[in-house]
Amino acid sequence: MKTVLVVEDEFGVADLILTALEDEGYRVLKAAHGAQALERLGQEKPDLIISDFMMPIMDGPTFAAQVKAMDDLAHVPIIMMSAVPETALRARFDRYEVFLQKPFRIDDLVEVVGKALGKDAG
Amino acid sequence: MGQGMGEAQAPETVPRTASGVPGLDTVLNGGFVEGGVYIVQGDPGSGKTILANQICYKHIEGGGRVLYVTLLAESHSRLLQQLGTLSFFDQAAVSDQIVYVSGFTTLEEDGLPGLLNLLRREIKGRKATMLVLDGFLATQASASSERDFKKFIHDLQGQVAAAGCTTFLLTNDDGRASRPERTMVDGIVQMVRRPSGDRTERYLEVVKLRSSAFLEGRHAYSIDSDGYHVHPRFEALYATPSRHDDVGEDRYTTGAPSLDAVIGGGLRTTSTSAVIGPSGAGKTTIGIQFIGASTPEEPGLLFGFYETPPRLKVKAKRIGVDLDALTASGAVEILWQAPTEPVFDALGHRLVDAVRRRKVKRLLVDGLGGFIAAASEPSRISRFFAALANELRVLGVTTLYTMETRDLFGAQVEVPIDNISSLVENLLYMRFVERQSRMARILAIVKMRDSDFDPALREYTIDDSGIHIGQPFVGAEALMTGFAHESASEPRPAPLPPRA
Repeated sequence: MKTVLVVEDEFGVADLILTALEDEGYRVLKAAHGAQALERLGQEKPDLIISDFMMPIMDGPTFAAQVKAMDDLAHVPIIMMSAVPETALRARFDRYEVFLQKPFRIDDLVEVVGKALGKDAG
Repeated sequence: MGQGMGEAQAPETVPRTASGVPGLDTVLNGGFVEGGVYIVQGDPGSGKTILANQICYKHIEGGGRVLYVTLLAESHSRLLQQLGTLSFFDQAAVSDQIVYVSGFTTLEEDGLPGLLNLLRREIKGRKATMLVLDGFLATQASASSERDFKKFIHDLQGQVAAAGCTTFLLTNDDGRASRPERTMVDGIVQMVRRPSGDRTERYLEVVKLRSSAFLEGRHAYSIDSDGYHVHPRFEALYATPSRHDDVGEDRYTTGAPSLDAVIGGGLRTTSTSAVIGPSGAGKTTIGIQFIGASTPEEPGLLFGFYETPPRLKVKAKRIGVDLDALTASGAVEILWQAPTEPVFDALGHRLVDAVRRRKVKRLLVDGLGGFIAAASEPSRISRFFAALANELRVLGVTTLYTMETRDLFGAQVEVPIDNISSLVENLLYMRFVERQSRMARILAIVKMRDSDFDPALREYTIDDSGIHIGQPFVGAEALMTGFAHESASEPRPAPLPPRA
């Protein structure tokens, strides 16, 4: 079973992702911000990280930069989510593999996660 | 400390953060006090979130930085989608100068102390100079006691004041006037939507504003693609005219020589006049002639409701007034408002702003009924027009209103405004009369303050050079009832004077 770490401050969005991915058979971990996510990474080694861009305490770019600096986690793909279009954000930060524009449909989320984990969408 | 704010204000040294929302800073006497905590409270759908964001983006324009924290509120993606339709929204600023984060999980897991800690860290880390807490009601629900809640507010006030971070708490109105935070915060802005006939009225009221005067009472607001527009209650803002009243001694021609001749040579400058009469009597004709005498040095404004500018231009051309040329030269500006669902106070401000902008000296308000129809509270109308007349007078404007009466004929005259005589200095009344199987038009000068005028009733005609006032109407009685009958002597009206 693949493990996905969801880093999202909006509890409604985090719960939506958790439910959708658990329905698809993934094991899902949650963190409300980057600092909390780093703590979780001390005990868990997820196969995929989905992170929001804007979060309190530690935002998505800071968190992702720290993950990419870790030898044992640098290879873990990161899906960066934001309500701001990627064109407006990429100039400031590009340490992620996939961008997911909010709001998104569940089908799109499942497809993006499947592709990032090397699974067939269908 | 609220008051009606006129010209004289005590000097204030409190640093302020302007809201940047048109009209709101006027109500607030300059803006919110920097580092203060303010409740923005209103019914669902009243636009609290839009107002707060508009203030935030204006703050960013001035170099500020904003922390926008949601609790139980709409999702950030939905919020940004909505903001994307508004002109003040600046996508490039999001995640840099303005950051949207959720504090709800922290509130759930660590309670009010945890939320307070999060806010402190974020304000400091992001160097925020403005904070919005959207969905504030959730904090009270998380408090274990009223004392804890008060402590949270108290600590938050201390925190943001020390950081110089002006803070807005957005919350729904639960109808409890005695909520503890209301007594603690620096100010409260209340927003209300209410049905009024087929319309929905929106108004805003500053309930409290510490360390500052403000404009008390309800102020209408509207929301369009530029966001919020607050329309300060006109008669409150102009309770005292903005300048000293210099009484005009000169006269302005009405543009109709034969009318000037019977009113002592023209209208006294800075006076207010009304021409009332039924549809088709020629009120707008007099108005157009009056405005047609404008020059670039003494500019005129035609503020109309019912007849669109193209129609007015055609009408003017028929009596020899070239409104196209007058507007091209800068002598005249035409402002037309569709008499559909305008905001009463917005009309007043639009009018005064236009007068100020061009230093207008001649003003024609064509169709005063358009103004009156916009008033949802009839009790305000007289006060509104008294304030308008006073302000126009001190701005050096000579004003002419046209106003329609309902009936073409009849013994009674219904004017759509009470106390019209007390609101204008000069009153001209036009009407149709039936006499000897012929329809005639007569003019009565009801009132002409500080002027000699001929009170006789006069027949008038309108042709391609405008209005022509005839000699006194003799030989008939009961003309003003609309049903004339011959008097015992002098059975015929005097002939009209020869045209120039």
